[in-house]
Amino acid sequence: MTNGDAAANGHGLLTTQAGVSHDLLEKHQGSSGLFKGAVALFSVMFILGVVGFIIRVTDGVSDRAIWGYYAAVFAFILTTAQAAPMVAIAPRIAKAHWRRPVSRAAEMWTAVGLLNLLLFIPMLWILPDLKDGRRSFWFFGIEDSGVVNAFSPHIWATVALVSLVIVGVALLWVSSLPDLALVRDHSTGWRQRWAARLAGQWNGTSRQWHILDRRVGILGAFYFMMLVFVHFLISIDFAMALIPGWIDALYPITHAANALQAGVATVLLTLFFLRKFGGYQDYITLDQMWGLGKLMFALSLLWFWFWFSSFIILWYGKKPNEEAVLELLMIGPYLPAMYASFVMNFLVPFLTMIWNPLRKSVWGPPLIATSVLAGTFFDRVRLYVAAYSVPGLGDPSVDKHELTVEQVENMSAVMPGLPDVLIVAGAISGSILLYLLASRIIPVMNIWEQKELLLYKIHKPFHRTEVMVLGKRE
Amino acid sequence: MQEHIQLDQKQINDDLLAGVLGMPKWWLAAVGGLSLVFLTGVGAFGWMINQGVGVTGLSRPIFWGFFMTNFVFWIGISHAGIMISAILRLTQAEWRRPITRAAEVMTVFSLSAAMMAAPMVHIGRPWRAYWVFPFDFSRGVWPNIRSPFIWDPAAVGTYLIASSLFVFVALIPDMAVIRDRTSGPVSRMYGFMCMGWRGTPRQWKLQAVAGILLSALVLPVFVSVHSIVSWDFAVQTAVNGWHSTIFAPYFIIGAIHSGVSAVAMIMALMVWLWKLDKYIRPDHFDAIGRLLIVVATTWLFFFFTEFIFALYTLEDAEIALREMQLFQRPYIFLFIIFIFTAYLIPVPLWMFKKVRRNMALMFWTTVLVNIGMWLERFLIIIPGLARKTPLSFNWGSYTPSLVEILMVTATFAWVGLGMLVFSKFFPLIPLFDIKEGMVFRDEIKIGRATVPASIRE
Repeated sequence: MTNGDAAANGHGLLTTQAGVSHDLLEKHQGSSGLFKGAVALFSVMFILGVVGFIIRVTDGVSDRAIWGYYAAVFAFILTTAQAAPMVAIAPRIAKAHWRRPVSRAAEMWTAVGLLNLLLFIPMLWILPDLKDGRRSFWFFGIEDSGVVNAFSPHIWATVALVSLVIVGVALLWVSSLPDLALVRDHSTGWRQRWAARLAGQWNGTSRQWHILDRRVGILGAFYFMMLVFVHFLISIDFAMALIPGWIDALYPITHAANALQAGVATVLLTLFFLRKFGGYQDYITLDQMWGLGKLMFALSLLWFWFWFSSFIILWYGKKPNEEAVLELLMIGPYLPAMYASFVMNFLVPFLTMIWNPLRKSVWGPPLIATSVLAGTFFDRVRLYVAAYSVPGLGDPSVDKHELTVEQVENMSAVMPGLPDVLIVAGAISGSILLYLLASRIIPVMNIWEQKELLLYKIHKPFHRTEVMVLGKRE
Repeated sequence: MQEHIQLDQKQINDDLLAGVLGMPKWWLAAVGGLSLVFLTGVGAFGWMINQGVGVTGLSRPIFWGFFMTNFVFWIGISHAGIMISAILRLTQAEWRRPITRAAEVMTVFSLSAAMMAAPMVHIGRPWRAYWVFPFDFSRGVWPNIRSPFIWDPAAVGTYLIASSLFVFVALIPDMAVIRDRTSGPVSRMYGFMCMGWRGTPRQWKLQAVAGILLSALVLPVFVSVHSIVSWDFAVQTAVNGWHSTIFAPYFIIGAIHSGVSAVAMIMALMVWLWKLDKYIRPDHFDAIGRLLIVVATTWLFFFFTEFIFALYTLEDAEIALREMQLFQRPYIFLFIIFIFTAYLIPVPLWMFKKVRRNMALMFWTTVLVNIGMWLERFLIIIPGLARKTPLSFNWGSYTPSLVEILMVTATFAWVGLGMLVFSKFFPLIPLFDIKEGMVFRDEIKIGRATVPASIRE
């Protein structure tokens, strides 16, 4: 890469530590009219979502089917916003330099976990306990066993989700400490007070840097493990177990893998908006879009492989309950959602991202990311709305382990009502709103990692050209 | 890679071509010994063809035994080459350079061992192996393309061709180096194989593009091969323990676990036998050890999920099978050995940097992994078949016969033999890749520290 290319790609513009600090602090402290407009819009939509939720609550929790879309949007946020921090964690472990402008933008989504925790509370009321003898990951919750609490899914899923949120917020806080200290030392008013509280005693001593390095690594690894664990529990107890006869060992892992795909898509779209409207075009460059685009492409292929691996086994197996499950989730009432998901999660990324001009562009990967996010939403609707619409759980006379094709043929897809639309729009808007508000306190661009890159990257002549030399810490 | 040793191009040529242009003292003896073992296996195969499959320990209801276990094992080992070469190449991991060739070659020989291990011998009448191909028009009988047993040869065959191409493309510049250092018919042979390589910028560019393209294109094949092998089992509902949706990724991650472990074994052998310690450093063992911790833990997670979901079915037969695997003799002993060797012993040891950087410990722990992963396949296949089901009518037990043991041993000899013969004709470490690594390597001073760096385009 020549100097000219580097400049065009944003590398050559800010080459001093002071310059980077000054530029990023300035961007952090300014707020445009567009930002305020977005905050106002998402606030209104969030309030409408709360209204939708109140309407839904007045309908009670005894009819689980009407809560399907609520569960779907909870799972959607878990799959997108709460998975987005993995985009910071995995490349950081691999010491990939292109992550630096991405990492904070991705970690900031951990804040949305707080909202999803609130969304989770009503789901605990909607989920039936194990006393009716339904199949469960907590095998022996049947009332006469006395070994496992009938509310095991409620207890352990809550513990896991709370842990995920705590670890996530801790990760965001710890990795932001140096930047918060910078804000503390270079701002005034409410922002300075908040930053001072959050930055604590950070002075940038060698010991503090050493501890920060270790803690960010450990918290990242924990976040990954907790994310997989939460997907494991939620996907089984809040979806699979609600469909009698659905036994799919790959499904919890598919749920988590989809989260990685949608997490990357979330971050790509975030980067696009930060670049386009946030003034970060010197930092968020082709390198980031290209790197994440390749990752999203690979994860889209993984989506297909996992989907097909499950499908082929159930299709070949032809057990009565397997036929019923396929009828319900893939070829019956939710066939349009299945098609939408298949096209948007796999076909669109696959057929477009194989082309270099699209993959290697700053607009291509975010464009395809919108397709992936929409597909993920339809996938969650397909799985959760279908699961919540199966009648009979809680009724002792209904078989909890076998679903028949005839039963499914008599079912029709549950369509969203006005409260569902308000809830879905409100929850997604609330997530974005929380992100925007968090970005007012914590710089959305990781300043210290950006400055660190200046130490690790040099350009030097090599024969008749100039090359970039990148250092990698052992 | 802190322990890098900068070498000049002449020394690289001398070191890495020593086995090709000369012959280590032990080489002939090793080839002779392995040939003997292999030929004994071929003899056992001939005996089986002459006498029929009754000479094996297989009988109703256990029709799949050592052969099929060994087939799945070798398919697993063959995943190492692509894992190491294609994925590490695409992710530009610098530490891949000295180990790619050996891993790729192991892929080729282990795939051929897999084909020997089961399909060819297992069909009972190998002279009718061509029935899997749709060309016998006169009979009007066509292969059932809905059967995974028809997909198997297609996938394995494609993988074998793709991985051979992979090896070949990476060999071209090295063969040109050998061509220029030999004379007479030998030189002409290498000249023919390297197709007029002169090292022009265009040739280098084409070679690099071919390597990247093959890396990307071979990955779906790599995934399909073990997926299909797993579906040989998983599409069946008749055998307890097999009908699980997780089998494809579970088999693949298991394959990567055993395959990468096998690469670590080969690395140690290359240092011990060919004295390549200037190229394969403790850093490389450290890197592969860290990779193995991730792979092994992911495998354990899949194993746990597979097991848990067997219980989740709440089916009596499925739960009874798991009890049989865990608590009944002889499977309990095999299960304990399997779980300890595949995970509980090696992974905690690999957590220590000192262990990861110790070649002997890495060698023996990865040997353990492969013992464990062989047993894993055995425990998947045999206990499920041994149980009485509505279709198999009675219970069974299985003891491998001498014929099976000899034939399985022969596949190990075949892979070893193949690697040794290959090493006589081609360098086990790619010369051009090592030289490129030397050129791309650099250092950056940060304060008082020196950080290893590499040139990026």
